[in-house]
Amino acid sequence: MITGLGALTQDTPWCFSQVKGTVEIGATEADIISTVEFNHTGELLATGDKGGRVVIFQREQESKNQVHRRGEYNVYSTFQSHEPEFDYLKSLEIEEKINKIRWLPQQNAAYFLLSTNDKTVKLWKVSERDKRPEGYNLKDEEGRLRDPATITTLRVPVLRPMDLMVEATPRRVFANAHTYHINSISVNSDYETYMSADDLRINLWNFEITNQSFNIVDIKPANMEELTEVITAAEFHPHHCNTFVYSSSKGTIRLCDMRASALCDRHTKFFEEPEDPSNRSFFSEIISSISDVKFSHSGRYIMTRDYLTVKVWDLNMENRPIETYQVHDYLRSKLCSLYENDCIFDKFECVWNGSDSVIMTGSYNNFFRMFDRNTKRDVTLEASRENSKPRAILKPRKVCVGGKRRKDEISVDSLDFSKKILHTAWHPSENIIAVAATNNLYIFQDKVN
Amino acid sequence: MEFKLEAHRIVSISLGKIYNSRVQRGGIKLHKNLLVSLVLRSARQVYLSDPCPGLYLAGHPGAPAAPQQPEESAAGPPAGWGEPPPPASRAAWPEPEPQPERPAVPEVPRAGDAEPAATVTAAGDTLQGGEAEAPEAAWRRVEGPRETAVGAGGPAGVSGVCPEGPEAARGPCGCPAGDEDKLSAAPRVDRCLASRPAAAEPPASPPVCARKRGAAGVGGGPADCPAPGSTPLKKPRQNSEEQPGGAAAAAEEEEEMETGNVANLISIFGSSFSGLLRKSPGGGREEAEGEESGPEAAEPGQICCDKPVLRDINPWSTAIVAF
Repeated sequence: MITGLGALTQDTPWCFSQVKGTVEIGATEADIISTVEFNHTGELLATGDKGGRVVIFQREQESKNQVHRRGEYNVYSTFQSHEPEFDYLKSLEIEEKINKIRWLPQQNAAYFLLSTNDKTVKLWKVSERDKRPEGYNLKDEEGRLRDPATITTLRVPVLRPMDLMVEATPRRVFANAHTYHINSISVNSDYETYMSADDLRINLWNFEITNQSFNIVDIKPANMEELTEVITAAEFHPHHCNTFVYSSSKGTIRLCDMRASALCDRHTKFFEEPEDPSNRSFFSEIISSISDVKFSHSGRYIMTRDYLTVKVWDLNMENRPIETYQVHDYLRSKLCSLYENDCIFDKFECVWNGSDSVIMTGSYNNFFRMFDRNTKRDVTLEASRENSKPRAILKPRKVCVGGKRRKDEISVDSLDFSKKILHTAWHPSENIIAVAATNNLYIFQDKVN
Repeated sequence: MEFKLEAHRIVSISLGKIYNSRVQRGGIKLHKNLLVSLVLRSARQVYLSDPCPGLYLAGHPGAPAAPQQPEESAAGPPAGWGEPPPPASRAAWPEPEPQPERPAVPEVPRAGDAEPAATVTAAGDTLQGGEAEAPEAAWRRVEGPRETAVGAGGPAGVSGVCPEGPEAARGPCGCPAGDEDKLSAAPRVDRCLASRPAAAEPPASPPVCARKRGAAGVGGGPADCPAPGSTPLKKPRQNSEEQPGGAAAAAEEEEEMETGNVANLISIFGSSFSGLLRKSPGGGREEAEGEESGPEAAEPGQICCDKPVLRDINPWSTAIVAF
């Protein structure tokens, strides 16, 4: 049951639920979470990190004894998805960092997810084993082969219960299809195909076939020196398996229909907002680069994130977004310093809630922002250890832009730009959110009476 | 004027980022480098279009006017630029008289803070053909050419970028122009001076090369330039002048800007410039070999140690093409 954010901030605020990850200051870079994703039921929550590991959390069944607390997420499986590789031809190291994880809808007892680094996509099967066969004829209990001559009787092996074991096995490896760095993967609604997008190309794969893929978008110019834009994100439409969108570094979104042609270089729709000339600066191009694009659950809207704003577009209107939300406009005057310290290149993601009424995205100082599309109200919350008491209500935060700083406000210059929230996820049907703050994963939920 | 300073700073930061991206784990990130190159291009455009008053002198009657140039309006620079007959201005630039200048120039970088005026005077004397100047006037004059060329950057297009070359050659003045407030210029000068001795390579070569480079760059704008190697450079620059818009032109502009900016870069990087030469990995050379455009290929002949620098400085094009 989803309630709007307006009600949430007043009657049912957000509460701390859990935090995963270490507190120590010397946390390694490998622990930095690089992607977060709920599966389609919200029962599982997957995170990928810079060290190439995937950690999957599973929600506990709600117990009748503790109705006030919804099920907690506990570690379900951990595995090393990608390892660092070396491309000998180009003398380049391929990072093992997990760029994206996408779940497949569940079709049997096992769970399937796609995880990708810069170059290779892998399909992982995560399955449970709670029984094992015992009573083999040709093998003894330790698995050693028995001499057939010593066997005098035959028996039928039986399955006996064992401690639950969750195993993750790589079922498919989709490699060698991308020259540039993969930034997105998206599972098609037909559940048979998926796409992977790098800076200049998008490939369509069939889950069963790993040695071939179709190239459906190619924006590489004949002369690389004429390059003016790259693909930054791509996603399939949630219901129409022929439709997908991809965003560019120029702040544009193209919607393509795969029925139109095999190579979708010509878009079906082109979404672009005219630039406001009064905001022109050296960094106008950088801050207009779209870092994430997400279809709404309904499929009617797309949401894009650029450096300072989140925009909602109606698929039926190409010339401008229907809504624009300022995430941290106070940074507009600081673009030069943010360019110097590379923060201007941070790629923030954005997410819809289950009913498409609220959108969420991250910011600096471990702040994250939620915008209610109906009430037009927004809130800034913080993921910090200080607010980490069980069921502690998160207090809205405020950044003071200038002039007198009120109590509890934080000034722009005091913001910690090393604490950035790039990755967040929203449970598909409930008000539970997962927020990745460097190497920690925070889980918040709305207060339940 | 502030825009120019800002633009210059942004250019130097951007180039640093492009360089660093080559040693980052995971390979060159195309998206980030594209964005950085766009910033570089914007900053360069601002840098060149900002009508910074300044007069490029060095060997022409306009010299005495130099100290007043910074205060002059934008009308000043074009006049100042136009005053010296182009051959004379070229003469003031390295080619025709490198020999007399060379001995003077290397001394400048090695000069400590106490001596810039004196050595600069020597250089100035050489350049101006023996005009007797007070050290301070000579000091300003040395700064003047930088400002002039920068000012001329407006009308002459790219050439404004190049004066950093001669300025770098003179060492102490390898600081960005655009600030006629000597007070604020001084710290920069000190910094440049301080960084010079730290340079690993012989100070003579880069400044001279930079100056030649600068001439080549300057030659790109005005039609007549005696520097032999500059001719190939002219074409892309003129092309970009004529087609300011368009993606292709933008890319060309961006690429040729990088090549033309080497002299500028030398001053920008200062001591880190020597780092570029030292740290230039083999990978960089290989990349550069792959694609080198005509102008760059033509330059190695005239540029001594700039070659590896040039290739390092132009990693964007080399990187993306090699990529």
